[in-house]
Amino acid sequence: MQLTLNEKRLLLELVKVGTTTPEEIMATLDRPAESVVQYGGLLSQKDLATVERNVTTTLSLTEEGSRYFCEGLPERQLYQSFKDSSSIADLNKHPHAKIGLGWMKRLGWVKIESGNVIKTGDAAPSPLEVYLKSLDNAPADIKKELIKRGLATEEETVRYVISITEKGRKLAATGINLSEETGTLTADQISSGAWKDMTLRRYDINKHPRPVWPGKIHPYQRMIDEMRRILLDMGFTELHGSIIQGAFWNFDALFQPQDHPAREMQDTFHLAGKQDLPIGWEKVRDMHESGGDTSSSGWGGKWDPEKAKATVLRTHTTSLSIQHLAGHSKPPVKAFCIGRVYRREAIDPTHLPEFEQLEGIVMDDNVTFRNLLGFLKEFYIRMGFESVRFRPGYFPYTEPSVEPEVYIEELGWVELGGAGIFREEVTTPWGITCPVLAWGLGVSRVAMLRMGLTDLRQLYQSDIDWVRQMPTYGGRC
Amino acid sequence: MPVVSLPYKYLERLCGTDRKTIIEHLPMIGSDIERILDEQVDVEFFPSRVDLYSTEGVARAMRGFLGLETGEEIYPVTPSSISFSVDPNLIDIRPYIGSAVIRDISLDNEAIISLMGIQEALHWVVGRGRAKVAIGVHDLDKVTPPFRYYGALLTRTFVPLDYDREMNLSEIMEEHPKGRDYSHIVKDKPVMPLIEDANGNVLSFPPIINGELTRVTEASKNLLLDVTGTDERAVMTALKVLCTTLITAGGKCESVSINGVIMPDLSPETREVNVASCNKLLGTSLSAEEMADILQKMRYGAEKSGDNTVSVRIPCYRADIMHEWDVYEDVAIGAGFGSLNAELPETFAAGCEHPIMKRASVLRDICCGLGYLEVMPFTLSNEDVMYTRMQREPDPRVLRVLHPISEEQTLVRTDLLPLLLDLLRMNKRRELPQRIFHTGDVVLDMQTCQKLALASTHPGADFSEAYATTDALMRELGLVYLPQESTDPAFIPGRAADIIVNGKKAGVFGEIHPGVLNRFDIDQPVAGIELDLNIIFSP
Repeated sequence: MQLTLNEKRLLLELVKVGTTTPEEIMATLDRPAESVVQYGGLLSQKDLATVERNVTTTLSLTEEGSRYFCEGLPERQLYQSFKDSSSIADLNKHPHAKIGLGWMKRLGWVKIESGNVIKTGDAAPSPLEVYLKSLDNAPADIKKELIKRGLATEEETVRYVISITEKGRKLAATGINLSEETGTLTADQISSGAWKDMTLRRYDINKHPRPVWPGKIHPYQRMIDEMRRILLDMGFTELHGSIIQGAFWNFDALFQPQDHPAREMQDTFHLAGKQDLPIGWEKVRDMHESGGDTSSSGWGGKWDPEKAKATVLRTHTTSLSIQHLAGHSKPPVKAFCIGRVYRREAIDPTHLPEFEQLEGIVMDDNVTFRNLLGFLKEFYIRMGFESVRFRPGYFPYTEPSVEPEVYIEELGWVELGGAGIFREEVTTPWGITCPVLAWGLGVSRVAMLRMGLTDLRQLYQSDIDWVRQMPTYGGRC
Repeated sequence: MPVVSLPYKYLERLCGTDRKTIIEHLPMIGSDIERILDEQVDVEFFPSRVDLYSTEGVARAMRGFLGLETGEEIYPVTPSSISFSVDPNLIDIRPYIGSAVIRDISLDNEAIISLMGIQEALHWVVGRGRAKVAIGVHDLDKVTPPFRYYGALLTRTFVPLDYDREMNLSEIMEEHPKGRDYSHIVKDKPVMPLIEDANGNVLSFPPIINGELTRVTEASKNLLLDVTGTDERAVMTALKVLCTTLITAGGKCESVSINGVIMPDLSPETREVNVASCNKLLGTSLSAEEMADILQKMRYGAEKSGDNTVSVRIPCYRADIMHEWDVYEDVAIGAGFGSLNAELPETFAAGCEHPIMKRASVLRDICCGLGYLEVMPFTLSNEDVMYTRMQREPDPRVLRVLHPISEEQTLVRTDLLPLLLDLLRMNKRRELPQRIFHTGDVVLDMQTCQKLALASTHPGADFSEAYATTDALMRELGLVYLPQESTDPAFIPGRAADIIVNGKKAGVFGEIHPGVLNRFDIDQPVAGIELDLNIIFSP
């Protein structure tokens, strides 16, 4: 059984006296009475001692009570201030007239006749007078009266009685080592071997430590890194590029019609200045106007090169994918990108003007739509979403298009991103002859689901306490 | 995407099956269920499938998908003597008009609501907010053909829909709710597009409002459609979708002559599609017969026309079919995405991290080792945070957004340290010390560059801490640097240093100026560091 030094000392004293009070023993132990009670409590938890708590109430005189103890109660003082009788008017000049007169009447010391106060006898001492002099003997109703008149107050006194138990005696009989305990171990004590004769103080493991906050990677970045790791493991090359894009790469090269509302100032952040069109832009124009040399009819109408020169903050990382493909038109290509994208949206808990998007592309000779579903399934399973299903989707630059959904307890099927095979209208201008599987994913949406967030702002304007409390290890490696 | 309300009773009647089956299959024909209510289900369809923006259109697709009725619907058009003349003055204003007559239709309340719904959706998706296409549906029996579509003066008057008095075109544009919404499309044009009948009764003032005279009610039996716009293909798409929807609802279509051209043409477009290339794209092994069967479920006309070809008749309402792959997608949808086994390809490739991302990971490791917590602030910021509060002059290389959505996001950040200070402000009630860092993109002179910043706040944060941290950082990065007294106004004079690497200023560190702390409403001292990674890592 583990006892602190103080518990041991108290136990040894109890062996000698059997029963004691903290006040009696505090001098011997050289500790304040409260501490002795605490040690007794610790011993009692181990059944080595008992601590009896007795509450007694005692009456004591108030300041006013003490004064009257010496000078007499107001009614007595008033009674003695006149002979057999006095007019009320005269009596009122006395400082205790107001309170004294009432009491004298109530006690029957005086009677009042036609404006005069007349003594009735010899005014025997009242019970209050009697017990004011010996408070401890006062009956309950008198005590109440004394308290009510503000002459006495009641105080609670708690007294403890500590007694050794049979178990305590047995333990003490086995012998108790009272050598001093050591807190901090010094270098000297270690090297000299002094530690061998020392008792090292034990710590209370039930006492919570002071928190230490380590430096760490943001939980959101950690999740992004997990996604990057999965894609790198699956053999993808990482892309990184400018957040400023020409409308050509952001929209036109992706077969987004020029009058599409998403291109307007309302939805996309436009910037000053024009971007040059790349070599080969005419093929993109032809694609829009007539489908070029594919089986497509194109959107029809006129395609305006000036519109394609506009500068925007990228609305998706697909603008990087298509530029990468334009520069790598021969298979195989496996590339991905996780980057900030921009939409002109007002900030609220579920909409932000900037957020992360993940995008992956696979280009190879014989890849198929089923392979695209295969990549999606593999990725989501590796991300910890076990059930994945697919339903039709629509994106201007993919055909066929698909929206993957994952099953989440309590939410049901949740749409998580979009995917498809890049349309020929998108790939043909760059001399790409095999299919390009592509998929995108709102990373912050996954973060909301994974971290149980209700407000996306927590990711970007983080409460430091939230970051501190969020475990680094999320249950998977 | 517009939300289409599908009332169960009407939907069940048109589909010939129960609501449970319909709701279960809705996502698989390509829709997002918004909400399931007691009397109706609200769904979103993709903007490519305008033909699904009505209960009639959804029912047509659903009957096929469930195999209750497959193949193409036939849309007969019989001739009528009704004609329009078109005023050449409209050529630069709103030159195209499409029209058709629908006879013997009986519209109950639900059919009228459905008709209004598809009109709204077409206005939005195909019409780009009525600028490109606007639609009017009229009670034909209230007016007398022939009609004319012409440019009218602003003083022309008629009673617009929902009003009981004559108004001139100017008044309508200024006072009528629809006028206020859409007048911007035709404002400042010399004449206004107007449709009137042989007796001078106004049917419509496109793209703004119809006349009250031709209002469609449950009593209307014969309808006249007008579709006007600036893009001929879009006008015809809207007309065909409307006509086929109304034929599905029970009407009979009659043609109209527009300046001598007979329309609508509701005949399908024929394409020969290649079975092998479809299988190659989807990863399937369907025969020509199987492919034709699936396409019939998707409401195409389709027959095997050779071992490797299927002849496909594309319904006129399918404006989204631009390319062979669009047909292949419908093969995949018709087969059911669930029936296509997901399978990884054998494409070999070695994964490769981007050098900038790799570098960012290393920086994160170092900063975490120094006891700093990562934060990820926005890249959009504003003049006040970026410069004013920092007591700095605006960076001339800053990129400003042309039409900011709020005062909070008017530019792309050029520095990271101000954003860390802003985060310290938000966290001022949290336990100290607080040490935070961020590494990420900034934009300077239109180039996306990378920076790193660290900030530490607690009662003892000072120049020495910033110096020691910078020194450790540079040591861990294996870089030699020289400190040089800095005059950066964001720091206390005599307590800041520029970081010189290879003779170039690559950053700054020191104790943040109390004036800056006041502006950020921060109560404790802050030691700050900022590094331009493109400079320190430039060869």
